[in-house]
Amino acid sequence: MTAHIIERAGEQLLLHPERALYWPAQRMLMVADVHFGKGAVFRRAGIPVPSGDTLEDLRRLDTLIDHFSPERLLVLGDLIHGHATSRSEWVAHVRGWRDAHAAVSVELVAGNHDRHFDCRTLGITVHDDNLRVGPLLLAHHPHTDGQGYVLAGHVHPGVVLRDGWRRHRLPAFCFDATTGLLPAFGTWTGLHEMAPAQGRELIAVTPAGLVPVPATRAD
Amino acid sequence: MPTDSTTSAAWRRAEARLRDWFAQADRRPAPFQRAAWRAWAQGQNGLIHAPTGTGKTLAAVGGPLIDAVLRPQTGLQLLWITPLRSLATDTAQHLAAAVEAMDLPWRVLRRTGDSGSSERAKLRRGACELLITTPESLALLLSYPDASERFARLRGVVVDEWHELIGSKRGTLLQLGLTRLRRDLPDLRTWGLSATLGNLEEALHALADDGVLIGSASRKRTHIDTALPEGGERFPWAGHLGLSQLPRVLDAVTSARTSLVFANTRSQAELWHEALASVWPESPDTLALHHGSIDPKLRFATEERLRTGTLRCVVATSSLDLGVDFSSVERVVQIGSPKSVARLLQRAGRSGHQPGQPSRILCVPTHLLELAEVAAARRALNEGHLEPRHPLRGCLDVLAQHLVTLALGGGFCADDAYAEITTCLAYARLPRHRFDAVLTYLQTGGSALAAYPEYHKLVETDGRFSVESSRIARMHRLSIGTITSDGSMQVRYLKGARLGTVEESFLSRLRPGDRFLFAGRNLQLVRVRDMTAYVRAAPNRRGGVPRWMGGRLPLSGELSDELRRTLADANAPESEMKTLRPLLAIQRKHSHLPGMDELLCERVRTREGDYLFVYLFAGRLAHEGLAAVLAWRLARLKAGDYGYAVNDYGLAITAAHLPPLDGALMRQLLHPASLATDIRASVNLSELARRQFRDVARVAGLVFTGYPSQGKTLRQLQASSGLLFDVLRRHDPHHPLLWQAEREVLDQQLDYARLRSCLVRAARSTLVWREPKRLTPLSFPLWVERVRGGIANDDWKQRVERMAASLEANAS
Repeated sequence: MTAHIIERAGEQLLLHPERALYWPAQRMLMVADVHFGKGAVFRRAGIPVPSGDTLEDLRRLDTLIDHFSPERLLVLGDLIHGHATSRSEWVAHVRGWRDAHAAVSVELVAGNHDRHFDCRTLGITVHDDNLRVGPLLLAHHPHTDGQGYVLAGHVHPGVVLRDGWRRHRLPAFCFDATTGLLPAFGTWTGLHEMAPAQGRELIAVTPAGLVPVPATRAD
Repeated sequence: MPTDSTTSAAWRRAEARLRDWFAQADRRPAPFQRAAWRAWAQGQNGLIHAPTGTGKTLAAVGGPLIDAVLRPQTGLQLLWITPLRSLATDTAQHLAAAVEAMDLPWRVLRRTGDSGSSERAKLRRGACELLITTPESLALLLSYPDASERFARLRGVVVDEWHELIGSKRGTLLQLGLTRLRRDLPDLRTWGLSATLGNLEEALHALADDGVLIGSASRKRTHIDTALPEGGERFPWAGHLGLSQLPRVLDAVTSARTSLVFANTRSQAELWHEALASVWPESPDTLALHHGSIDPKLRFATEERLRTGTLRCVVATSSLDLGVDFSSVERVVQIGSPKSVARLLQRAGRSGHQPGQPSRILCVPTHLLELAEVAAARRALNEGHLEPRHPLRGCLDVLAQHLVTLALGGGFCADDAYAEITTCLAYARLPRHRFDAVLTYLQTGGSALAAYPEYHKLVETDGRFSVESSRIARMHRLSIGTITSDGSMQVRYLKGARLGTVEESFLSRLRPGDRFLFAGRNLQLVRVRDMTAYVRAAPNRRGGVPRWMGGRLPLSGELSDELRRTLADANAPESEMKTLRPLLAIQRKHSHLPGMDELLCERVRTREGDYLFVYLFAGRLAHEGLAAVLAWRLARLKAGDYGYAVNDYGLAITAAHLPPLDGALMRQLLHPASLATDIRASVNLSELARRQFRDVARVAGLVFTGYPSQGKTLRQLQASSGLLFDVLRRHDPHHPLLWQAEREVLDQQLDYARLRSCLVRAARSTLVWREPKRLTPLSFPLWVERVRGGIANDDWKQRVERMAASLEANAS
C-alpha cells in the first residue's frame, strides 16, 4: 500500500504516502503547505525546536522526484512559512536543492504565507493566480468556481484513527465531490481534523503507508 | 545553662503563677502540660504529641515562661517556629496572653515573609524576647554575619506543627538551622509540637538528639459516621465527585451550628462549593470556600469569620487541616476517602472542642468501594495504626542552600561544616564525597559550568569558604524560601482585588473570554500579563475548574493494608460493609475477592480491546511505576502498543490484543527481580527527572527565580532549568543535583520503596487468575480511569494493518 489511485474529473491521480500527489497524464508532481523555515521562525521566538527541518523536507522532495521523474513540480501554496533574508541558512539549502533539479520546472501557486519571501529569487515560477490545467483547477485556497475540479492545500487536513486505547492524529488526503485537499507537506505543520462524511474520501497518511478511511467509520 | 530543681520553692512559686492563670479561666493544667514544664526546667528536649485543641502551645511555652520568671533577661530568649505564616498572627496573640499572665516584660515579635518593615527593623535592633518565625525566615536570619550575636541569649526553640514540616524539604532546612544554632549554644533546648504520628520516636530524633516524648493521656474519642446510600438508591461503582450525596451533606451541614466540609482536591472543593451554593437555603455569605490557592487575604477573612462564628459552612481542603481551632465548629464532613488515617483523625479533631465531647466526622463516599475505605479507616484508628511521616534524608539541594547561608553567616571550614551537618538526622549518613561534590558545585558550578562566573558562589581563602560577591548574597537571600513557591500565576480582578493563584499550565490553555470557576466565583479571563491573570466576574460558568498539580494523594500504606483486610473479611459487621455486600457478592460470583495472602489478576475482553487488571493495593504512585514496568515486560513478550491506567487499588494494562496469559506467566511478569533496571527502561526517568530538576535547581540556587518585581514565567524557568539539565547530563553526568533529581523521582513520584515491597509481598502470595466475561466491581473503576501512559514497541506496519482491519469491520 505505497500508493493509492483516485479518479476525479476523468483524470487518474496517484496519492503518495510522502504527502504528495502525482498526475501521470501531465507528469506533474504536487505538494502543498511546505512551510520552509518554520523551525527558524520558532527558534527566533525562543522556542527550541531542532534544526534541520528544511533539509529533511528537501530530502523527501528529492526522493519523490527520483521516484516519479516529473516534468513539473507544483507547490499548492505556502512554500515559505515566514520572513527570511537571502542570508538565512535554509534559503541557501533551498537554492542548492533547486540548482540540483534544473531539469524540473518548479512552480508555486502563491499562498497566504508566500508574501513573506520572493520565491522567484530561487528560480521558482510563481503563479499569483490559480492555475488551470486540463479539467483541474490548481489552487492554494479551496474555493470552487464551478468550472472544474479543485485541487488545493491551505487546510492541512487530518483525521483521528483509533487503535486499541490509543488515538492517532494523522495527516490525510481529503476528496469531496468538488475539491480535493492535499495534506501539508512540511515537517512542522499542524492538522485540521476532518470528519468522515458521505461523499468524502479520506485517506490517512501513516509512516507505513496510506489507510483509506471509510465514510461510515464508527469512532 | 543552669537547670532548676522543680522541687525548689522558687520554681513552684513561678509555676503557681501559671496555674493561677489557668484557674482564672476555670481550667487546670493537664498532667502532660505540667510534665512538659518540668522537663523543660530539667534542661531536656522533647516532643509533645496530642490532638489539636488540647493545649500543646501552653505545654510548650510554660517551661520557658517559668524559666524567665526565675532568671529574667533581655534579648532573644525563645524562638517559636511555625510552618505557616498565617498561623504566626494567632500564635503571637496566644503567646502574648500567656506572657502577660506571667507578668513578664517580654516583647513578642513576628518575623515572616509578610512582616512589615517596622517589625523587621525592631527585630534588627534585637528588640524582642520571643520571636515567632518560619523555617525560611530562620535561615534568612542565619545568613547574616551577626547571627551568633543575635542568638547569643537564646534558651530554647519550639517547633509548632512539626508533623507538617517533618516530611518536607522545609523540615530538612529547619533541621540544618537548628544544628547551626546548637553549634554555638550546646545547651539549647529543642521542643516539637506534633499531632499523633506513627513514628514519634523518629520525629523527636529528627529534631533533637535525645529527649522525652510527652503525650496527653486523654485520648479524644472519634466517631466516624458514613453517609450511606439508601436501599434501592443507585450508587456509582466509580467516580470521585460524589455530588449525588448533596442532599445528605446539606442536611448534615444545616443541622449543625458551623460545619467544615473537607474535600481532597482544590477542584473538588470548588465544585462542592458551587453545588452547595446552588441549594444553600440561607444567606449566601454564610457559606465560604477555603483552599491553598485562594489569596491569603481572602483566606484570613474566612478564618476570621469562622472564629467569630458568622459562617455556617466552609468547604475546604487540607489548607484548613492545621492551625487555629474554631470552637464554633460542630460538624466535620469528609468528601471522598480521606486516604490516610492520620488525616481523618486530624480533620475529625476539628469538631467537638468542648471537653469530654467526642470528635465526629461524617464520611461521604463518592463511589461504592470507598465505603470499604471508611470502614477500614475506622478499624485502623481503633487499632491506633497511624501513618508515619519520615523525614527526608540527604537532600543535596537543601544542603547547597544551607552551605551558602553558612558562608554568608560568617564563613566555614569544610571539615567543620561536614562534622556539623552530619550531626543532624537528615544528613547523618551523608558520605563525605557527596558533601564534597556539593561544595565543588558551589565553588565552580561543576565541570560543565565552570566557565560561567555566575555559578561560582563560594570562594575559598585559607580553607575558609565565604561569599564575596554582594550580588550572589542578595540573590541567595531572595531565593531562601523558594522551597514552597510553585510557579503559579496570580488571579485578580481588573480593579485590582486579588483572588489567589492558579497553576500556569491551566491558564495557558485558556483564551481571553473563556470562563472558569475559581475561589467560588464564576470568572472570565480578560488578559494575562506579567504572571497575572486579569479576570472579571462572569454571570455563569461554561468552562472548567482549574486542576492543580499533585492534587491526588495516594492511599496510605496503613489504610490500604487495613482495606485489604476489611475486604477479605466476609463477616465484617460495619454498616458500610453490609451496604457493600451485594457488590462484593458480584465480585465473588464473576471473579474472585482476594484474601489477605492472595493477589488477584483479571483479564477482560471489551469492545475497546483487551484489559489486564492487577490489584496490588499499593497506592496510585507505586501502581504507576509498576504499570510502566509491566507494560514494558509485556511488550518484550509480544510486540504491541500497551496503555495503562491506575488507581489506588490496582492497575490496568490495555492493548488491542494482549498475549496469552495465565497465572504462572503473571508471576514471572510481576517478579521483583531486576525491578530497578526495568523501571529505568520503562519509565521515562530522564524526562521525569528533567521536570523534577526545576525544583532542585531552584532550591540549590542553580537557577534564580528572579527579583520579586520581575518574576520569570514558569515556562522561562522551565526552559532555562531544562537547558541546564541537558547540559549537565551531557557534560557532567555525576553532578550532585542530577543525582538528587533522579532520586526524588524514584522516591516521591514513583514511591519506589513501596512498589518494591509490594512486589515482594505479591511474590509470596497466591496468585489468583481469572478471566471474567465482563467488567467486575474491582475492575470497573480502573476501566473508567484515563489512560496515563503507554509503552509501544510495535511498528507502524502492524498498526496500519490493525487499523485497516478494524475500519473495514466497522464499515461493513
